[in-house]
Amino acid sequence: MSTTVAQDRYAAEKQKFQELFDQTEAANQQSAHPLDEYRQRAMTLAGTLDFPTRRWEEYKYTSVNRILQPDYAIGQAQGMDAADIQAYLPEGMDAHLIVFVNGQLSDSLSQFAELPAGMHVMLLRDAMDSDRFGSIAREHMDRILKDQDDIFVALNAAFSQHSLFLYSEKNVACEKPVYILHLSTNAETPILNSHMNIAVAETGSEFAYIEGQFEKPGATGTYFNNIYNRVTIGANAHIHHYCLQQEGAEGFVINRVDAEQDRDSQFSNYTVDLGGRIVRNNLNTVHKGSNLTTNYYGVYFGKEQQHIDNHTFIDHAVPHCQSNELYKGIVTDSARGVFNGKVMVRKDAQKTNAFQQSSSLVLSNKAEMDSKPQLEIFADDVKCSHGATIGQLDESSVFYLRSRGLNDHQARAMLQHAFIAEVLEYFKHEQVRDFAEMLINQKFEQ
Amino acid sequence: MLTVKDLKVAVEDKTILNGINLEVKPGEVHAIMGPNGSGKSTFANVIAGREDYEVESGSVLYKGEDLLEMEVDERALAGIFMAFQYPVEIPGVSTSNFLKSIVNANREARGLEAMNAMQMLKYIREKIELVGMDEKFLRRSLNEGFSGGEKKRSEMLQMALLEPSLAILDETDSGLDIDALRIVSEAVNKLRTQDRSFIIVTHYQRLLNYIEPDFVHVLYKGRIVKSGDKSLALELEDKGYDWIKEEVDAVAV
Repeated sequence: MSTTVAQDRYAAEKQKFQELFDQTEAANQQSAHPLDEYRQRAMTLAGTLDFPTRRWEEYKYTSVNRILQPDYAIGQAQGMDAADIQAYLPEGMDAHLIVFVNGQLSDSLSQFAELPAGMHVMLLRDAMDSDRFGSIAREHMDRILKDQDDIFVALNAAFSQHSLFLYSEKNVACEKPVYILHLSTNAETPILNSHMNIAVAETGSEFAYIEGQFEKPGATGTYFNNIYNRVTIGANAHIHHYCLQQEGAEGFVINRVDAEQDRDSQFSNYTVDLGGRIVRNNLNTVHKGSNLTTNYYGVYFGKEQQHIDNHTFIDHAVPHCQSNELYKGIVTDSARGVFNGKVMVRKDAQKTNAFQQSSSLVLSNKAEMDSKPQLEIFADDVKCSHGATIGQLDESSVFYLRSRGLNDHQARAMLQHAFIAEVLEYFKHEQVRDFAEMLINQKFEQ
Repeated sequence: MLTVKDLKVAVEDKTILNGINLEVKPGEVHAIMGPNGSGKSTFANVIAGREDYEVESGSVLYKGEDLLEMEVDERALAGIFMAFQYPVEIPGVSTSNFLKSIVNANREARGLEAMNAMQMLKYIREKIELVGMDEKFLRRSLNEGFSGGEKKRSEMLQMALLEPSLAILDETDSGLDIDALRIVSEAVNKLRTQDRSFIIVTHYQRLLNYIEPDFVHVLYKGRIVKSGDKSLALELEDKGYDWIKEEVDAVAV
């Protein structure tokens, strides 16, 4: 009997998602759009999967229990004007903007039309309808659902109605990043925001997209952002993916990126995670061709009750590939940080060059950091290095800064900032780096 | 400016300063000399506000206020500047950002408006010239990888920017070649005013060839055992510290 109980640990919670899905479908009056068929399939799939428990090695330090308790509803469209999003468009931020408020697309604030030739950003729904992208879009959806064992991805695919499809044609370089802004505002009920991006860079092309996930200042609502990115980087192509998160005190995030790289390509992920109640990032890259490079640069900063978990994975499956991973973070108050960096170097992946460094500062007695580098190396001619440090601020540096008139708080903030600024230097787009720096500074000043 | 009375200080239960008396008036330059282990640096650090010292007795008044009750940053904002013997290297903190922050923190404490980026740049350039530093240091991390001389120059630059009432130089001359020494002393001389006081802690008389002190004090075994004018420094240079040690130790016996 006890095993049955364990397996059904979240049966009631799963049922609530099913009911919410049924309500949504009833309200939708059942169009026969192919995306809706995928969504139905995904919901059925979700019904066969389990939510992770802390018995699962991958969720040892992060319980999803708190995320699953609220009675979520789908967000309603809300009127927003340019002034409302100004805080997230700092001076110098020049990007193709797409705005979601509580998970609903804001047509008036989004700029689909202004993209350069060869760069396409559209709703996945529209991509499926188009002659040009229909088969590519469907193929990606099929692959997302095939053998999918992550219930959060299945739920994402079931609930995401405004999934985006980003596509750069062969040899096209899109200079301005695409900026997908998710804003959470007050709502009467807890909000479930599911969003999927399918990003594809064809051979020799390059573009950048930024995902900004923020709670509007002053808002206090409970919400759950379940975000999924499927990123496919063609031969000799490069995708820069920025993920900026600053969620509210009752904001929950499950974020997953599955990237797949072809030969000679580059994938760079830059994560700035300023926390939420519980944030779990899963960042996975699989190598499909040789001579490619994967870059992971991450910064996190947890305060108060925040829980920030970064799980990263790089699958070196072919020879002559490189990966660089640098994560730095700070936890203070009662915050908790988790870093799990898995690097797999398969038997065939000779001449792999894999570097990983994770450093954290733990600034209070109640804060906690769990850091786990996990290198699994099956090839014998490789260069792999990793380092993980957990430490405190250097008090002689604090004294030095104070001796020049900075108060204790300012001195510590300056040193903490310096600690994570190293990562920001790797950010390719200066405007995003400046924006990230501004967000981090704001958090220091809180 | 500064009145030190019968100051006794211990480190880990060992008495290092054993009753220091010193009066520094506005505009005066005092040199504190002494052999190794005499307590010179301890004295400088206690005035600057380092916390790993235990004040056993005595008092220190700065501009009429109880200095020992003030936090290190309060002392800085009240106009005390300490040029450290070993400035800390701080990777990741850019020198220019650091300088901007400390200048504006000090301006704010004096009721002055914060400088904007343009004013700041002009102000920093002016002072950088005064201490003969290369502007490229502004872009580097604070003190990181600086040579000994560059670190001392960086300290002088900070002093010039903050315009303190009382500056303490803790062995700023140690380990400097003659050119660097000249630059440091020139900076001090340019900053000498009738209101600004200096306490120059040094092991060597050499620095005092460039900075002319009003008073020279010799510290030995935690006390000021001899005070005089600059000629005392020359005497020390000629004869070393041994004669003073002998004098003091003879009395003690």
